[in-house]
Amino acid sequence: MGLLDTEFGKRRLLSVEVPAIEKYNEGRDAEFKIALNRVGGTLVLNYQLKPCHNAYRLETRLLSSYPTVPPETRVLTPLRHCPHLLEGQTMCLWRQGSTRAASRWDPAKFTCIFAIQAAWRWLACYELWHDTGEWPLPEAK
Amino acid sequence: MAHLFQVGVGSGGIVVLDALARDRRITRITLVEPDVYAAHNVDRHLFPESAVGRMKADLAVEWIKERRGDVSVEALIADITDPALMPRFTDLANECDIGVCAVDNEAAKFAFDSLMRSAGKPWTLGEVLSGGIGGWVHRFTPDGPCYGCVASHLQRNVAEEQAVPPPDYANPDAAIAATRIPANKASIGAIANLHAAVTLELLEKSESASEPGFTSLLLTLARVPGVFDDAFRTYRFRIARSEACLICSALPASVAGEDLDVALDQALARLGHE
Repeated sequence: MGLLDTEFGKRRLLSVEVPAIEKYNEGRDAEFKIALNRVGGTLVLNYQLKPCHNAYRLETRLLSSYPTVPPETRVLTPLRHCPHLLEGQTMCLWRQGSTRAASRWDPAKFTCIFAIQAAWRWLACYELWHDTGEWPLPEAK
Repeated sequence: MAHLFQVGVGSGGIVVLDALARDRRITRITLVEPDVYAAHNVDRHLFPESAVGRMKADLAVEWIKERRGDVSVEALIADITDPALMPRFTDLANECDIGVCAVDNEAAKFAFDSLMRSAGKPWTLGEVLSGGIGGWVHRFTPDGPCYGCVASHLQRNVAEEQAVPPPDYANPDAAIAATRIPANKASIGAIANLHAAVTLELLEKSESASEPGFTSLLLTLARVPGVFDDAFRTYRFRIARSEACLICSALPASVAGEDLDVALDQALARLGHE
């Protein structure tokens, strides 16, 4: 199910993802809007989040296998090494196959905006961890 | 006379295929399977050890021809998610009478669901649970729920017992390790034969246009504290199509073909400079 090269993928983008991004951008300050760009067979969302004190630049990649495979989000702003941070500053947000209660990605219910909300929550956890040394949410199981 | 379109002839898929190919209503079979028969398959497969190294699809064709010489069989050594082959898969979905999905990766299940739903054809899916403690058989009809509706409703935990190497985030396009469910042959055979029985029943129902009685059937094969209270019990689930499902409910067909590309280009141009 190629996101950009199958009818299913294109319809998903046009009827689900693009309207969700446009709604997210509506009324938002320019620097916090999502920019959507095609990079090969991948769609990349570039945006900025400010969960608490600091603003962070991020990119969320919708791979060719999206939405079956969850989006991948990485923080472009340099971070301290911390829990739940994978190689390339990729956020560990969910594990496919785990239960909904423990961060399972559900392509029937979630859009790419859910990934951005999850990234916001992750960054809020990061700032708390930075101050307290404790990650305030449990591991995805 | 019925045309069976089956994706996957692994240890479960070959059992389903063997059972279905012996039904005289099946006169044409098309298989899609990309994998090589490997040494670790031998304990759970119908194929002999001497066949290790050959393509599973080719072995499956030989298996059928040795038992039903009158059946027309075609095998595609391919991945059902391959966008380059989507026109061919679309034709096959349109030509077939019933589909069988016997794969264990989510992308392939969603891809087959999309093909069969677009073609308006019934299909079935079998899933063996980790450790062979039981399994699911799902039946899909054109007006019923899609695989996304069912998977989202059931919220199954399908984590593998055997550790699968984590994806290489530095190289997202790298090959992903195959998922292996450590179930024994008896467990796989039990679920696969149930899968075949449900498929034959659905074929009969589609011929007589009767209302299907369930969408998902769970058979437990072991008592597992906290998971299954008893072994050898069945549970029937009738899952409705979800109006809010982003897989099957929000895809208007008003724009198609080149217009779809134009609309997508316009959307990307609009959002690219935000």
